[in-house]
Amino acid sequence: MTARVDLDAESVGRDLAALVLTIVELLRQLMERQAVRRVEAGELTEEQVERVGTTLMLLEDRMGQLRAQFGLAPEDLNLDLGPLGSLLPRD
Amino acid sequence: MARDEPVPWQGEEGPYGPLGLPLVDLLDRVLGAGVVISGDLVIAIAEVPLIRLSLHALLASVSDRVPAPWADGGRL
Repeated sequence: MTARVDLDAESVGRDLAALVLTIVELLRQLMERQAVRRVEAGELTEEQVERVGTTLMLLEDRMGQLRAQFGLAPEDLNLDLGPLGSLLPRD
Repeated sequence: MARDEPVPWQGEEGPYGPLGLPLVDLLDRVLGAGVVISGDLVIAIAEVPLIRLSLHALLASVSDRVPAPWADGGRL
């Protein structure tokens, strides 16, 4: 029944990737919110705002590619913390 | 960004209704306000202390009030 073993090997890699990508996604969303906060505070120059926005957009695309590579859906990266609700927004 | 409206604590699923606020938003607000974590942590196995962690950490978003120690991102 080697096929089954292979499946486990893949799923183990997938779960590890899900954990790592969850942490990365948490940081990405946190940085995104912080960036919005800084832009709203109006402390950044036009050029900084432009570069931060582009970088965040590229990061979001890259996250999508990484998730697709491991066959993970966005919900797989979200943790349900029971009474505390969820780690990431569920929209 | 769609703001989830806060779910009343006394939800129908008993006293522990979900907060209705993703933890990442909570973290963002905490960072916005700024927080200092200070304390000692000892990780032990079978009453044998193995690892000691002494923390005095400031976690805050960068703003004019709380400036970053150096201008650019610097080395990670």
